[in-house]
Order: sequence, then C-alpha cells, then structure tokens
Amino acid sequence: MSTQTAPKTKPQIAFFDFTSCEGCQLNKLNLENHLLEILEHVDIVEFREAMDDKADAYDIAFIEGSISTPSCVERIHDIRRRAKILVALGSCAVTGGINAMKNLQPIEDVRETVYGKDKYLFPTLPAMPVSAIVKVDYEIHGCPMSIPEFLVVFKALVMGKQPIKPDSPVCVECKLRENECLYDRGMVCLGPITLSGCDAICPSFGQFCTGCRGLVPDANKNAMLDILTDHGLSLQEAEKRLLLFNSYKQPDTFK
Amino acid sequence: MNKHNLLLQNIPDFVAHLQTYGEVHAPCQKGENSFSFEQVTDPSRVVLDYARTLQSIRKYFLPPTERLLNFSLTDNTFTKVAIENNHRIFLGVHSYDMKAVLKLDFNFSHRTPEINYLKRRENCTFIGVSYEPDDYHFSRSVGITVENTEGFDLFLDRHENGYTVQVLTERGTEITKDFTALGEALEIPEISRQFKNKIKFNYNRLPEVMEQSWNSPVWEEVAQRCVGCGTCNLVCPTCYCFNMVDNVDLKLTDGSRDRHWDGCLLSSFAAVAGGENFREKLASRQRHRIYRKFKYITDKTGDPWCVGCGRCTAYCTAGISIVEIVNRLSDEFEQTHLRKSSAPVGQKIQGVSL
Repeated sequence: MSTQTAPKTKPQIAFFDFTSCEGCQLNKLNLENHLLEILEHVDIVEFREAMDDKADAYDIAFIEGSISTPSCVERIHDIRRRAKILVALGSCAVTGGINAMKNLQPIEDVRETVYGKDKYLFPTLPAMPVSAIVKVDYEIHGCPMSIPEFLVVFKALVMGKQPIKPDSPVCVECKLRENECLYDRGMVCLGPITLSGCDAICPSFGQFCTGCRGLVPDANKNAMLDILTDHGLSLQEAEKRLLLFNSYKQPDTFK
Repeated sequence: MNKHNLLLQNIPDFVAHLQTYGEVHAPCQKGENSFSFEQVTDPSRVVLDYARTLQSIRKYFLPPTERLLNFSLTDNTFTKVAIENNHRIFLGVHSYDMKAVLKLDFNFSHRTPEINYLKRRENCTFIGVSYEPDDYHFSRSVGITVENTEGFDLFLDRHENGYTVQVLTERGTEITKDFTALGEALEIPEISRQFKNKIKFNYNRLPEVMEQSWNSPVWEEVAQRCVGCGTCNLVCPTCYCFNMVDNVDLKLTDGSRDRHWDGCLLSSFAAVAGGENFREKLASRQRHRIYRKFKYITDKTGDPWCVGCGRCTAYCTAGISIVEIVNRLSDEFEQTHLRKSSAPVGQKIQGVSL
C-alpha cells in the first residue's frame, strides 16, 4: 500500500488448482450471468485457467484439487502464507474426493500402475484434502463445486461476514422440493447422510445421490450401511458406494 | 345434512364445476409411485383413490420456503411480502390431514398469532374423501376415523360405483347446488374401515407412558438405526418448526429474509450461539420428536399431536416405525409400572365358556 490516500481497493482474489480435473474452475467460468457482477466486487489476480497474470499476495485464495505429491505440499504452504483467507473449492480440495480412493491400495502399486517403469520420476503421496496440510477457512462442497454455495460464500466474504455452513443432509432438500424418494423407485441413494447445499439437484432429476458433497457431521455410517443392504446391496457394494467420495476418512472405521 | 350420490364417471365434470368457484387443488400422480397435491388444470389428472400424498396440505399454509420480507442495505429499509389468499378448494383431503390443519390452526393462532399462516388459511374450502387404510395408517389409534368429517365442507365417502357426498356446511351447499349430475344418495349400510396398524394403548394414556419413558433404552436402540436425515419431521403434517436465513443479491445492495422448514431430528436444530447443542445425540432428538407428538402439546390440550397418517414411517429409509416406538414404550411401561395381572387375558377368557 502506498502512503498516499489510496482509493478503496477491491479484494484481490486468486484461484489455484491441485490434483483435480479442473472442473470446479471451469464451473466458475460457467457463472457467465454473474461474472461481471462478481468482478464489481473483486479483482482476480491469478487464475491459470483463465489468464496469465501472477500476484504476490491475495485477500482470498480459492483452492481446487487434492494434495497428492510432495510438490503439492510445498505449493499449498506457499499459497497459505500469502493468502489472508483460504477457501477449498470442490470435493477434491474439501474431502480428498475420488482421488482418495487410491489410498485404499498400496501407494507403490498405484504409482506403478499409473507411471509404469518411469514411476521413480514421479513421487506420490496418499491423496489428502487441503485441510490435512494447511488451515482452511471455508469449504465449498460438491463435484463439481456447487455454484449457489460458491455465491453464498463469496458474498459473505466480500461483505466481511461468516458464511452459513450447511450441515443437514440432502433428504431435507428433497423433502422441501416434494421429490418422490428414489428409494420408492427402487434405487439406493446416499442422500440420507450426504451434506446438502446442492438443492438436491441429482435426485430432483431422477439420479440417486452418490455422495459427492461428503458426509454430514457425525454421520451414522452403520445405519446407512444397514439401509443400503436392506435395499438390496451386498455389504461390500454398500461400503464401496460410501467410499466413493469418502475414502480419505479412514476406511476401516466403516463397520 | 344433505347427502347425494356422485358416480365415478362424473368426477372430471365435478372437478371442472368446482373450478368455477376457485382454484382447485387435488392429489395428482407424482413421480412413479407417489401422489402430491397440485393445482388442477386438467380434471382427468385428479386421483381420489390414493394412500397418502408426499406432503400434506400444510405446504399451502406454511410453505417449504417462504420470503418474509425484502430489505435494502443502502437505505436500511424493509418491506413485508404480500400474502396471496385466493379462493382455494382442496379436493380429496383425508380426514387425518384435515385434522392436522386444525391442529396447526391452534398452534398458529394461540398466543402470538402467525399472520402469514392465518392469512393463507382464509378463503379455503375443504372436500374430504375416504380412503382404505394401508399398512402405515393408524389414525384410528389417535382418535380420527376414516369417515371423520370435522373441518370439511363436503365429504366424499367411497362406495362401489362412486361416492356418497355429504354436504356439511353452507359453503358445501353453495358449490354443489348447481351441479346437476349429483344423484339421490344410495341406501348403503355404514361401514367402518379397519386399521391394520395400531397403537396398543388408548391415546389418552400415552402422556403417562411418556412421563415414565425419559430414560428408556428404546431411544438409544432407535438412534442406532436412525441416520438423522429429518425426513420424519419434514413429511409430518403437524410439524411446523422453521429456520430463517437472510440472503443478499450479488450487487450486495438488497436482500430478503427467507423462512424454510426445519426439523428437530437434524443435528444442529438445538444448537445455539457459543457452540452448545441441547440435543446433540440422536437418541435425545428421537425422544424429543415423539414427545412433541404425544406429550408436550398433549399435556396442554389433551390431544395427541400425531394424526396417524403414517408418513414418517412410510418414508423412513431406515424403516423406523413411530407405532413400534410407542408400542415398545407402552410394553415397557406395562411391565415396570402396572400391576402384573395373575394370568394373561387370553387364559382368563378360556375359563369362561365362549
């Protein structure tokens, strides 16, 4: 900051990607109707998928992707040091996402399968959420991240307020929309223990919930496994469904 | 009381006739195997033979989400959102859902009146219909028969070829008098429909059972099977708890205060500032739900606040049954607090020649 009376500056925000499909970042560019309004409030100073510029410090850093290599660890520490507020964007960053399924197998086997004889050139780690390495201030769930939730967090941060964190399951949103329960259509759905905030978008269009937003706090996983097996899944299949987006959370705590 | 006969083939015409008096809302097919109250545009879509709708008609008076007011952050002002209350005719309401509305009327007019709810309750006509109790209905156990006409302007009682139409109010007369296809009521012997699902004690004994059940192991056993998804609250026709959220637009200049349904089974329902949660455990939340239906308001009014629609049980993915919970508590109460009879009832009867 200069010593002169500076004009009121907008918060400087930046986007970073780690191990991910970059779909969450793309999802932000899909905010077409809102992009100009968003830019009224902030300056985007770094966003690899959309621009070349780089910056030294950020008011808000948005992080996409899980941490899965030693260089990821180094980079996320560096970003954290330069960011006032750090927000994890999307399943991979928030829970480790589907990347963490690799943690269920010996890491050396995974490395060999992916890189073959060149595996020694590519050091790897079990996939971790950003919060496993640095302090994360806010999380935006979903695969890809939920746009409405992004806007809620964005608006709150720009206004200097605490965003409301959803903690009820997807069933709540289905009931508010008066959706027919997918269990009554012969499907099995992870809605009962998956964090809401997506407006039950999948069940509303007839697709059962795969649990991309992660589990509600204190989820009763054993009861969920009972529900899945009572509705026709084998225990093995039921556990696999639960692990799809929740592998990072110590798989051996499942029954 | 006037009675008429309405043949099945005349129902679409009857619906069309009702539409001349106001919006008609009736059960229609929803999804693959469900029904939902919807505003009728095509009378042939109305389904009067149905087990239950996903949501009761409470959704019209206490909407799932509702904007209460709009505010401006630039000049610190707010305006209340106007409440619409067009003439509405609810066709095909079951007796338990009607009773639930009467209970909500009590909740929302007692002490601090809930203006939005009461405004929406104006200008409503209710036409009841009988139903065949399925495995989940247990209304009889909470004092509501299938044929209970309380609250209705008209009641349609099913018989083989159609319905016997009971005219119960002046409004009922008004909306039927010009409908020429109504015939003379048939002589049909009264049938009382039987319920398969039953609470074992009379409902007036349940507050006493609940009084003794605070420390029952049943709560923890139920909690083991429960995922706390809140479905039982959100489909309950007598649940009315809500949460409020302020939302701002992306310009950050204007916003709205919105209300949405909440449920006491959800983990943060009883969480307060400072991080305390009065019902952190699922077992205590299950107990609270049951007490809300059979004890707290019952102590004040003498009536159970459950209407026996069976939704909480029919829509519970974990298969938790409210009747089973109440019956297990009753069994426990019987074993620990009632004098044990010397022989089971069946054996006593054996002594008498039947």
